[in-house]
Order: sequence, then structure tokens, then C-alpha cells
Amino acid sequence: MISGLAALILRAIVVLSGTAVITFALLWNAPGDPAQAIAMARFDALLTDEVIDQVREEAGLNQGFWTAFVAWLTPLLSLDFGHSAVTGREVLPDLLSAISFTFPLAFAGLAVGLVISIPLAIIAAKHPGGVIDRMAVAVASLGTAIPAYWLALILILVFTVQLAWLPAMGARTPAHAILPAMTLGFGVAASLTRIIRSGILEARGQPFLPALKRRGVPDKAIGKDHVAPHAAVPVVTVFGLELAFLLEGVVLVEVIFGRPGLGPFLVSAITSRDFPQVQAVVVLTALIFVTVNLAIDVIYRMIDPRIGSSDA
Amino acid sequence: MLSVDGVSVKRGPKLTLEDISLSLSPGKTLAVVGESGAGKSTLIATILGLLPPWKGTVTWCGAPVRACRPALVMQEPRSAFNPVLTLRRSVMEPLVARKTSIDPDRIDRLCSGLELDPTVLDRRPTEVSIGQAQRVGILRALVAAPPLVLFDEPLSALDAVTQKHTAGLIADLQREEGFAAMIVTHDLGYAVAHGDEIAVLRAGRIEEITTPASFAENPRTEYSRTLRDAAISLGALEAAV
Amino acid sequence: MHTLKASGLSAVRSGRTILHSTSITIEPGDRIGLVGSSGSGKSTLGHALIDDLRLQGVSVANVPQSPDEALDPLRSMAFHWHEAERALGLNRGSSDKAALFAALNIEGGDLRKRPWGWSRGMQQRFVIAMALIGRPALIVLDEPTSALDPVVAAMSMDLLDRHLKGTDTAMILITHDLGLAARRVSKLMVMHDGHLVEEAATEDLLERPSTAPAKALAAHRNWAELPC
Repeated sequence: MISGLAALILRAIVVLSGTAVITFALLWNAPGDPAQAIAMARFDALLTDEVIDQVREEAGLNQGFWTAFVAWLTPLLSLDFGHSAVTGREVLPDLLSAISFTFPLAFAGLAVGLVISIPLAIIAAKHPGGVIDRMAVAVASLGTAIPAYWLALILILVFTVQLAWLPAMGARTPAHAILPAMTLGFGVAASLTRIIRSGILEARGQPFLPALKRRGVPDKAIGKDHVAPHAAVPVVTVFGLELAFLLEGVVLVEVIFGRPGLGPFLVSAITSRDFPQVQAVVVLTALIFVTVNLAIDVIYRMIDPRIGSSDA
Repeated sequence: MLSVDGVSVKRGPKLTLEDISLSLSPGKTLAVVGESGAGKSTLIATILGLLPPWKGTVTWCGAPVRACRPALVMQEPRSAFNPVLTLRRSVMEPLVARKTSIDPDRIDRLCSGLELDPTVLDRRPTEVSIGQAQRVGILRALVAAPPLVLFDEPLSALDAVTQKHTAGLIADLQREEGFAAMIVTHDLGYAVAHGDEIAVLRAGRIEEITTPASFAENPRTEYSRTLRDAAISLGALEAAV
Repeated sequence: MHTLKASGLSAVRSGRTILHSTSITIEPGDRIGLVGSSGSGKSTLGHALIDDLRLQGVSVANVPQSPDEALDPLRSMAFHWHEAERALGLNRGSSDKAALFAALNIEGGDLRKRPWGWSRGMQQRFVIAMALIGRPALIVLDEPTSALDPVVAAMSMDLLDRHLKGTDTAMILITHDLGLAARRVSKLMVMHDGHLVEEAATEDLLERPSTAPAKALAAHRNWAELPC
């Protein structure tokens, strides 16, 4: 049997391959000439028939799906995303530039979310049903209901327009990331708080905890060594999903704050029908999701090896 | 009469039951004893007709055993019932499913035989004591008058005094109704006190089938002796003088 | 080791008194059976006793009914052992692990494994071994045989008895099965409805039970002698 970790990595590779095949199949079956679509993916938007025929031969499109698939996939594997249909520039550097704005913001947003949700959840879980608990749950529910763009605009109104404490537009300085990070962070905190809280409450109900107490183990050690790890499992899931979501660029927030991240990149690529750019983001998204999920699975197995093992 | 002939059951590449042969007549009780993992649950599933044997046959009066609709009493009464339904609905469920009508007196008669107040049936499983829940489980098994009833550790969720009492009720009902009973248990005291025969199961095979007296006083195999000595050590059996 | 005393033990749950004020005296080396039907309050008394004695600073160990109630499935056996050592204020490795493991026949166990990697019988004996770290003055076992099959249960109890012989450690065996207790203890305490109703030496209680609950338990203590 393949060892656990190798199996997970193998699975990730299979998912990525599947994504590639499906994406290409969509291309292949898109209305119009696949050769034209692929040619567009590789060169300029204005193509002569000769170029298209050349691509058709090169790409082996007269040789069937799989040969064409390989021809399409090969440049992608070396991160050659071709050239933008609109600007004619290479896609990869623009993509990397967009990533350089989005990724740090994503992590900052996540950090804000954690800083709010973890202490809030712990305090709420101390007295389940009590005042703070009910307040925390109410605020969390509110947080999921509030639209990000509304919160963003309110924050801009308060901190930039009224108080002039923080900048709003653009991404020139690290300070420019504060308001967008807060906007994202509140949304993240809303879901994380509830998950952490219920994770803690469930972990507290484990049957062996009274025995530990009677054995003389101090309460702090019980919380750290026995409650926290069990509570961590659902938290890791939600955390991972939020991370993946944020890494793809939260369009509304980035647009409102005028940050040139992945969100605006994708939107402008779609509206201008810039196929190579769109394709690059699709591939990147698949990669992010698969990687984050792989990381989650690995962390799960470290915490609780029973998960995913067949003889548990 | 129940006839198990050379039954072997496979799970993946492993044989969970190997060459099992036994028989059971109406009105008689066969106690099946053995350690955890010996295959007792697999044996029950096979005799109920839920698990097809890889080899061999399980028949009742010559026909495949499912035809006689054997009933099962399970170990944990509370998880044997749908917590949302009243006990009465759970008891009636198999009858409703088979569109069999039932003599209303029968339920009352069985209730009195199980020392159950009929109003208990209008409650939900979590609202009654565990002893009551287990007796309702027995009621449900007997309500359609099956000729064969299987018991999977029917007493282990009950305390010592209740165990003896419930075992007596089961024996009385068996005399009245005449069903054949196969009782799987790890309590050797119970097996010796109520079994007409004892089958010792070990690692999927039958070590021996013997009478209670002979098992208690003079076990034939070394393994049976270990079981018997363990039972004495735990106070379940009195040591032979 | 000296005499252990706990008094005024009681418990209330949802407004109802489930354990009425009870006192217990335990001499070094005592073997006591705490028996009663379900709901009689015996486990509650056991817990209250343990908590009270611990507050008094007495070293008392607790073996719950099943390993699920004693071990964290996310932690290795080694972790549990070291945690128990720390809880008793012992340095890592100073407990007599080798001797205890040998006494309870779990030497072969891989300590790096999580609990579910061990058989239930071995898990239970590990919990007993953990309870014996530091030579407690008292070890309380709650229904020690109900979660195991008889061969394993008998072996565990025999090994424990053998280990305790000659030590000062007292043992309380909480069970609904008088037959089980009678074979292993010299004193019996009978619980009913949250009250301690009778207390006597084993042979005396078996031959001349005076209260109704004690009579019922004695009459039903094994399958061979059932009243007509």
C-alpha cells in the first residue's frame, strides 16, 4: 500500500490532471474552431487563416484530442502562459505582479480574522449560553450577512474621509493594506468564530476529560493538550477554505480599494476576452485549491491519524 | 428446525467463519459463547440471512432461513429504536411493513409476560429505563410470532439483578410461545443457566458443542477450560465443589 | 499509609439529591466492594470520594469503566504515561514503568501508538498501570469488567490482585455484580437510592444480608443459585 503522504500527493496530482483535461475539453468543444481558440491562447487576437492552419498542424489538432491536449499542456507546465491577447505582453509577469498584491492581502486578512475570532471564540466558549457567548454568535451571524463592499465603504468613510487616519486607494504603502485587510478579516472572523466556538464545545464533551482531571492533570494542560487538538480539526478545514478563497483575489474588495490584484486582473481579462489571461487565472486557481487542500489533509493526518485511514 | 451446514463466511480474503455446523429445534435454546472477535456477530448476521455464506447453507425446515423471518434482540436497547418514534410505533413497524394484521390482545399478553405496563409503549425510548427498553426490544422481536429468535448479548446492558430477572422472563415466554432461541453471550453463567446446549466459538470456528453441565464441570478443550475458569474468577459461575 | 476518611459526601443533580450524605473509612490494604443496582449512586459515591480525598492531598487513582473514558485517542500511550507522571509531580521516567508493565502484562505494547492501536484489554490494563504510578493510597475501579470479555477481564483483575498483594494500597471495586465483588473483596458496602444501606464483611453479607437491597443482590449474585 502506498504510504499516507504519498497517497495524498498522488491524489493532488490526479485532481490537477483532471482539471487540465476538463479545461482543455471545454476549449475543444467551445463553439468555433478549437484551433482558433488555441491559437488565440498562444498568439495575438488578430490571426490570419494561415496562422490558424499552422497552429492546427502544430498542435496536431487533425490528430485528435489527446495529441492536441499534450500540445496545449506542455507550455503551461513550464509556466509559459503565452501572451495577452490584448496587450501582447507576456502573461506570466502580469500574473505574478497581480499575485504580489493579492497574496499578502489575503494573509493579512486571515491574520485579522484570527486575531478577532480566536479570543472571541475562547471567551464565548467559557460560558456557553451566557451573555458573551450569545453576543459573539449574534455578531458572527451579522458578519456573514454584511456585504463586503458595504463594510469596505463604511470603513473608508470613517477612517479615510472622516478621520483621515488611513489611506484607501491604491496599494502604494503597507498602510494601504490595513483597511482592505480589516474588511476581509471581519468576514473571515464571522465564520471562524462560530466554527472555533463549536469546535471547543464539542472537544469539551469528550468522554475522557473527567478522568484526566481526576488523574490530577492541571486544567491548563487539559485545554492545551486535549481540547485544542480535537477542536482544531474542523477549524483547519474552514481556515483552509477561507485561505483558498482569499488567495484567489476577492474582487469587490480589491476593486473598491483600487488594488491591482488577481480580482481586477481576472475581471478585466474576462471583459476584454483576453483568453490567455483568463486561462492563466483558471490554472492558478486550480493549483491554489489543490495545494491548500493537500496542506489541510496533511495537517489532519498529523493531528489525528485516524482520519482517512481505512482501519481506524 | 434450524440447520447450519458447513457454513463459511468470507470478508475480503479472510474467513471470518469457518465450517460452522449446528442445529436448533423449536423450544430449545442454544447459547453461543466466545471472546470478542470470535465471530459471534458474523454468525448472527449469517443466520438472520443478512450475510450470504461463501460456502454451506443455513436453512429452517429445509427452506432458506429468511423464509421463516427470524427476529433479533439487540444488545443496546436504546440505540435499537428510532428515538423519534414512540415505542409502540417501533414495535408495530415490522407488521405494518409486511401488511400483517395483529391480534391486539397479543401485545397485551406479551406485555404482561414481560412485566411491562402497556402505557410504557406510548413513550419514547429515551423516556424509559434501560430495563424497560430492553424488554420492549424483546416484545418487538416476538410480536410477529417468529419460530426463531436470535439474541445478541441481550443482558449485558442491564445490571446483575435485572439480568437474572429478564432472563427468566425470556425463558417463560419461550415455554409459552415455543420459539427456538439462539443466544450469543460472553456471560458464561447465563449460558450455563439457560442454555440447553452451549457452542464455543473461537476465531471463527466451533471448538465444541456441549451441555451446560459438562461445560461447567468438565470442559473438553483447553480453551473451554480457560473460558470456564475466567467465568468462575469473575463470579459468574460457582466453582464445582 | 494511614487510615483514609471521607465524610459528608453527597451530590445533587438537576435539583435532585442523588447521593445522600455518606461517610467512608478505609484502612491501608482494604479491599472494599461498593455494590448496588444501576442508579443506586455507587459511581457517584466513588467520584465524590475521589474528589474529596484528592482535596485532602491523598494520592488516589481512578480507573473508569472503559478505556474510552480514560484515554485521548489523539495522543500516544507514551504521552499519557508521561502526563500521568507529571500530574503526580514525578520526573519523567522515574515511575516504575517496567515493573508495572510487567505486572499487568503489557510489556509488548508499542507506546508510540495511539490508544486505538492497542486491543481493548491492553488499553484497560494500561489505564490500571497508569493508576498505579506512584503507589497510590487507594485505587478505585468502576465496573472494571463490563466493557471487556470474560477471559480478558479475569486476567486483568487477577494481575491487579497479584500486584496489590503485600502492598498498602487499598482498592475499591464499584460494580453492580455482587458475584464479581464477593470473590475479590473482604468488605462490602451496599448502595440503594443514593443511600449507603448496609456495610459488612463479605461472608457476613452473603450469608445474612439484612436489608432488602442487600438481600436482592445476594440472591442474584450468580446464576447457579436463583430463588424459586
